[in-house]
Amino acid sequence: MTNVSTANRTAPNQASPTLLAVEGIGIRFGGLKAVDGFSINLPRRGLYGLIGPNGAGKTTVFNLLTGVYQTQAGRIFLDSRNLVGLKAHQVVAAGIARTFQNIRLFPGLNVLDNVQLAGQLHAREGLASTLLRTRRYAHEESEIRRKAFELLGLFGLQERCLEPATSLSYGHQRHLEIVRALAANPKVLLLDEPAAGLNSQEKLELAKSIRHIRDTFDLAILLIEHDMGLVMDICEQITVLDHGEVIAHGTPHEIQNDPKVIAAYLGADAATV
Amino acid sequence: MADFAQTLMTTLAVGSLYALIALGYTMVYGILKFINFAHSDIVVLGAWISFTLTRWLFPAVGLDAHNPDSPAPPLWLGASILIAAVVACSLIGFVIERFAYRPLRKAPRLNVLITAIGVSLLLQNLGQLSFMFGPSPQKMPALLSNVELWRLSLPSSGGARNVVIGLVDVMIVGTSAVLMIALEFLVFRTKIGTAMRAVSYDLEASALMGIPVDRIISYTFMLGSALAAAAGFLYALKYPGLNQPAHTTWVLLGLKAFVAAVIGGIGNVRGAVLGGFVIAAVEQFGAYYLSSSYRDVYVFALLIAILLVRPSGLLGSTVREKV
Repeated sequence: MTNVSTANRTAPNQASPTLLAVEGIGIRFGGLKAVDGFSINLPRRGLYGLIGPNGAGKTTVFNLLTGVYQTQAGRIFLDSRNLVGLKAHQVVAAGIARTFQNIRLFPGLNVLDNVQLAGQLHAREGLASTLLRTRRYAHEESEIRRKAFELLGLFGLQERCLEPATSLSYGHQRHLEIVRALAANPKVLLLDEPAAGLNSQEKLELAKSIRHIRDTFDLAILLIEHDMGLVMDICEQITVLDHGEVIAHGTPHEIQNDPKVIAAYLGADAATV
Repeated sequence: MADFAQTLMTTLAVGSLYALIALGYTMVYGILKFINFAHSDIVVLGAWISFTLTRWLFPAVGLDAHNPDSPAPPLWLGASILIAAVVACSLIGFVIERFAYRPLRKAPRLNVLITAIGVSLLLQNLGQLSFMFGPSPQKMPALLSNVELWRLSLPSSGGARNVVIGLVDVMIVGTSAVLMIALEFLVFRTKIGTAMRAVSYDLEASALMGIPVDRIISYTFMLGSALAAAAGFLYALKYPGLNQPAHTTWVLLGLKAFVAAVIGGIGNVRGAVLGGFVIAAVEQFGAYYLSSSYRDVYVFALLIAILLVRPSGLLGSTVREKV
């Protein structure tokens, strides 16, 4: 009993500290090792960063985690449930949602529909009740709509909910992608370059929003980002990827002073200077 | 005037058939970006399944299916045959997608296209086997008595002439209209339709938002096949002399419906309907006022003209290349 209470003190109200456990996953495309032996342990409410030079394999890691690609090695556990072999839509259902580096909203659908679609994920009513419009179906639909609308409020998108998604400004489209991912009710949120293309004011607000989202929805967040200011500011732990392999892992302070990281970013000479 | 009205009536009936078939091509293209060449063969199956069921069921209601002067059966018989053909073809569409196309989901699009041609040949030749529909043309017993609903006397070049609006044409236009409105509702007003549109915009992103993409693709094939079956049934009502399954008239029918989908803007549901009526108008009016031996030429000439002026079709949006 005493042991349990000590454990509780270090990690309050948490059954297991690790939410997403990734061990040695990888994929080759032909002869190219795109990602090799990637591991990470993301705790509940963790806010971790994944950085690396262009082409290091960061987005490929996301694709492996979300079932777009099937990992050729290693294991992925979410809440001790094995995710290897699941299809993309099953991985989302299990609790991993993501955004995209290049915005990939559904252009012909309005803002609310974009969010509601992801909210359909946990809907129970099937084809028959959709076509027959049963009362339970109507109730469930209005519940999904209410939740989608509420989520849009996070970024003040409520009054634009009937406009086509593409009519939003670039920054708002990025926000909408995050809202859409949240509608899937995830345990882990993967953000692929959420700050790309934002100005410095918007980046500051984004940093605030990411923390707010983590706290409100009790999520673990893993984000890919090139903006070092943002990463160093909000991430608790950072993993650095180069040529598909993890070259460093640690706190922002450790990463900033790691010679291997400096070499990867600036070339080997810079590290020795 | 009378000639014009009569040709217009035929245009509406034939256009409805083209539109129903074109919808199947366009929905599958919208989602999977490939032309399902086996789609026209579903129309053939729809027509021949209707024929076979009619042959079986006529004796059950005390009629002789082999007697060309046999009176028409009650309306519910025709309706149940239509529903049975629709259900059967939906299942066939499901099976084709599941076993021929789904294994190739990650293969280059050309492979799927060639597979579609293979499936088409398979269906055509299976249909001609003697234990299926047989290698010879058949006469479809009349499911509807072709009553005159209206007879209008309209002025014509040689004095007044009668324009006859028959039950069969009205039935074809009416049934098609109901089906197309139902589809419009399904695609734009239900969550399954929203999911279909999402998948057509971005298949991968849809999967990552939790949409069961494979299931949505199955629904799309079943829906397209259902409409094709209805078209086959209605075609057999209008043209009771059914050609054998591999006959070129069927190929031409499918090809024209495909042209309708392209002219309307392939991937666009409303465009397919518009395209169906546009090519029916060109074909029927051209055949009547110019020369009926060039009826196919008008359709394909229009296709060439549209592709030159508006390659994305009448209602199609310009395609943005992904980089």
